[in-house]
Amino acid sequence: MKEPTIVGFLCNWCSYEGADRAGDARLEYPANIRTVRVMCSGRVEPEFVLHAFREGASGVLILGCHPGDCHYKMGNYKARRRISLLKKTLEQLGIEPERVRLDWVAAGEGERFAKVANEMADTIKGLGPLELS
Amino acid sequence: MAERIGVYVCKCGPNIGDKVDVDAIVDDVKGIEGVATAKSHNLLCSADGLEFLKSEIEGEKLTRVVVAACTPKMYEQKLMRACEEAGLNPFLMQMTNIREQCAWVTPDKALATRKARSLVMAAINRAPLLEPIERKEIEVQADVLVVGGGVAGLEACLSLAQKGRKVYLVEKSPCIGGLAARFEEVYPTMECAPCMIAPELQEVLQKENIEVFTHSEVEETLGSFGNFSVKIRRKARYVSEEACIGCGACFEPCPVEVSNEYDEGLSKRKAIYVPFAGALPNVPVIDKDNCKRFKGEECRACEQACPFGAISFDDKDEVIERKVGAIILATGATLLDPKALPQYGYGKLDNVVTALQLERLNASNGPTGGKVLLKNGKEPKSIAFVFCVGRKEKEYCSGICCMYSIKLAHIMREKLPDAKLYCFYSDICVPKKEHQQWYDRVVDQGVEFIRSNGTVAVTADKGKLAVKHGTDSSGKTVSVDMVVLAPAVEPSSDIEKLAGILDTSRDDHGFFCEEHALMKPFATALEGVFAVGSCQGPKDIGDAVAQAGAAAGRVLSRLVPGEKLALEPMVAVVDEDLCSGCKTCILLCPYSAITRDKEKGTSVVDEALCRGCGTCVAACPSGAITAKQFTREQILAEIKGVAK
Repeated sequence: MKEPTIVGFLCNWCSYEGADRAGDARLEYPANIRTVRVMCSGRVEPEFVLHAFREGASGVLILGCHPGDCHYKMGNYKARRRISLLKKTLEQLGIEPERVRLDWVAAGEGERFAKVANEMADTIKGLGPLELS
Repeated sequence: MAERIGVYVCKCGPNIGDKVDVDAIVDDVKGIEGVATAKSHNLLCSADGLEFLKSEIEGEKLTRVVVAACTPKMYEQKLMRACEEAGLNPFLMQMTNIREQCAWVTPDKALATRKARSLVMAAINRAPLLEPIERKEIEVQADVLVVGGGVAGLEACLSLAQKGRKVYLVEKSPCIGGLAARFEEVYPTMECAPCMIAPELQEVLQKENIEVFTHSEVEETLGSFGNFSVKIRRKARYVSEEACIGCGACFEPCPVEVSNEYDEGLSKRKAIYVPFAGALPNVPVIDKDNCKRFKGEECRACEQACPFGAISFDDKDEVIERKVGAIILATGATLLDPKALPQYGYGKLDNVVTALQLERLNASNGPTGGKVLLKNGKEPKSIAFVFCVGRKEKEYCSGICCMYSIKLAHIMREKLPDAKLYCFYSDICVPKKEHQQWYDRVVDQGVEFIRSNGTVAVTADKGKLAVKHGTDSSGKTVSVDMVVLAPAVEPSSDIEKLAGILDTSRDDHGFFCEEHALMKPFATALEGVFAVGSCQGPKDIGDAVAQAGAAAGRVLSRLVPGEKLALEPMVAVVDEDLCSGCKTCILLCPYSAITRDKEKGTSVVDEALCRGCGTCVAACPSGAITAKQFTREQILAEIKGVAK
C-alpha cells in the first residue's frame, strides 16, 4: 500500500539548506516526505496546510530557522503563532493536531532534518492516512 | 495562449541517473497538457547542458521551463542566466530538487522515482502560474549622512570622503572627537589620544566634501536606501563659525559659572565656552539655558569682549535639508550612572569617582592639568579600582572596562609610584592579542588584584574610604583615599529618540540592533542604515573604527555615483482594490517596508525596502498582498503536485 504523504514547507534560508545537508550526508528518511520551498516559515498560510490535507496529504511539516535566527528576523515567530492557532482549529474539525508539526532546522543541521522527518513519518504512520469526509 | 512547457530532468551523471528512473519520468510527463517537450540530460549545469537548454528554449519556442536537478542553491542562478540568454524571462523557470532531497536520501529506486515524479509534477503544475518579473533598478543618491563625530563617525566620514563621496556629519555636541578626545592615553598603545585623533579631526573639518554640523541633531528622515531625505536641526550657537577665530576673549567676562559636563562635573565653565582646551572646531557656544541674557537680564559681556563681532544673540536654529543614499549611525555610548547603585557611595562620598572622571583628572587638558588630586588637593596614597559596576544589573559584560581600568592603574603606577593600588574584579576580561600582557604588567608593577565578585561596598572611614568586599562572615575591608568605578557601558540617552526618527530597532539592552550579530554586525535591519561603534554595543576604539570602515566599504560598493541600485525582484505587492486598510501588514513587516497611502487608505510596499519574506502576504486578511514568485496560486499548485 502507498504510504500517506507528508508535505514539508521549508524556509529557504535554514531548513531547506538543512534538508540539502541531509542529502549531502545521504541520510535516509521516508520518500513520502515531499518538500515545498518558501522564503520564510512566516510565508506559510494556514490555508496551505488545509489545502495539503485536502489534496491528499496526511501530515504537514513546517520548518523554519531556530528562534532568534530567522533570516527575516521574526518570521518564524509569526509562523509559531499561526500554527498554534491552526492546531486548535484542526482539533475542532476532528483532525489530530499531531498531523501538523512546526519545528526548527538550521542550515547546517542535516542530521536534525532527517531526525525530524523520520519522527514525523513515524507519527503519521501511527495515525494512519487522513480520511476527510 | 497555451503555455509551452519544456521539462528537463538532469541525471547528474550517476547521482540522479542511478537512483531515479529518469527516462520513465520523462515518458510519464510527456502527455501532460501544456508540456511541449520533456527530455533528460546527463549534466545540465555543464557548458554543454546550458547550451542544450538554450537551444531547446529557442527551438521549441518554450514559454516555461521546468528543471528537475540538484538543489536550486547550486545552479539556479546559472540556469536562470541561460534562460535569459535564450530570451526567456528567468523567473519563468521552475526548478525542483530531485538530488539532495530525493535521490540522495531514498535508497529504494522505485520509491525515489515515485517521489521524483511527484516533485516534477508539482513543478509542472506551478509552471504555468509563473509570472515574468522585471529586475528593477533605481537612481540613487551617493551622498551619505554620518551621525556622531566620535572615532567611528570620523573613520566613516574619511573613508567615504576619500573616495569622493559627499558626507554630512551631524554631531550633537559643539565639538567633534567624541570620548576619545577627552582621554590622555589610550590602550593598548598607551599613546596620546588627542594627538592620535588630531589629524583625523583636522582632515574632517578641512575636507571640501565633508560638511560638518556640530551642535546639531537629526530631526527627520524620510525615504529609503538610496534616496533618503534628512532634516538636520543646527541649533543656534550664537557665535559665528566664520567670524570667530577662537581667541577665547569672551570667556573671562562671562559672569556665569556652571558645572562642566565635558570634565564630568569636575570643573566649572562659563555660559559661553568651548568644551575643553583643544576642542575642535575651536568656536565657543553659548549655553542658552544658563546665559543671563537668555534669562532676561541685560548682559552683553561676551559680545563686548569679542574683538571680531562674532557673537550674535539673534542667532536662530536652522533646519537644513539634505539628500543622502545611506545613513551611518555612530552616536557612541555613555557610562551607567553609578548613583543607581548606592553601595558604591558615588555622589555621596568624596573621592569616589568614575573612570571617566579619572580620565579627566589625568588629562593635561583637564580640570587639574593632569594632576590626580583628591578633593582636598592632595595626591591619593591609595586607590581602589572597582570593575564590573552594574554588570549584574545590565546582564552583559561591557568588555572594555577591565582593560581601561588596567590602563588607568598602569598610569597611576607611573604617576604615583608610592601609591597602593587595588583592583576589585569579578572576572578579568582581556581578550585581545595585546591585552593580557598589560594585565601581567600591572600585576608585576605591584597592583593588587582582589576577586570580590560584585560584593564591594564603599563607606566613609575617618576621612578615607573603606572598601568592604566578600560575604559578611569572611568580609574584609581595605582602606583607600580614592575609589575609581568602572561602570557598565550603556546606550546614550538620545538613542531612543534617534531610533524613533529612523524607525530602526534596538536590542534588549537599548543599543541599536544589528542585522546579524556575526555576518552583518554593522548594519541595521533597515537597508541603507548602518550602526557602528558603541551605539551598536560596547566597543573599544579599534573595534569601533573597524566597524565604521566596514560600513563605509559597504556604502561605497553599493552606492556608486551614476550607477543604479538593483532591487530585490521577489517582493510583495499590494492590490489596492482588495486592501481594506487594516494595517496588519504594516505592523508585521520587519523592514518597515510597508506604509499607508493616506489618501487611498491602503498599504503600499516600498520595493527598495522589501526583502520578500512574505510574512505580510500570509497575514493579510483580505488576501490583498501577493509575494512575487511565491504567490498563493503558485504554492497551492505545487502542494497539489506533492500531496498526491
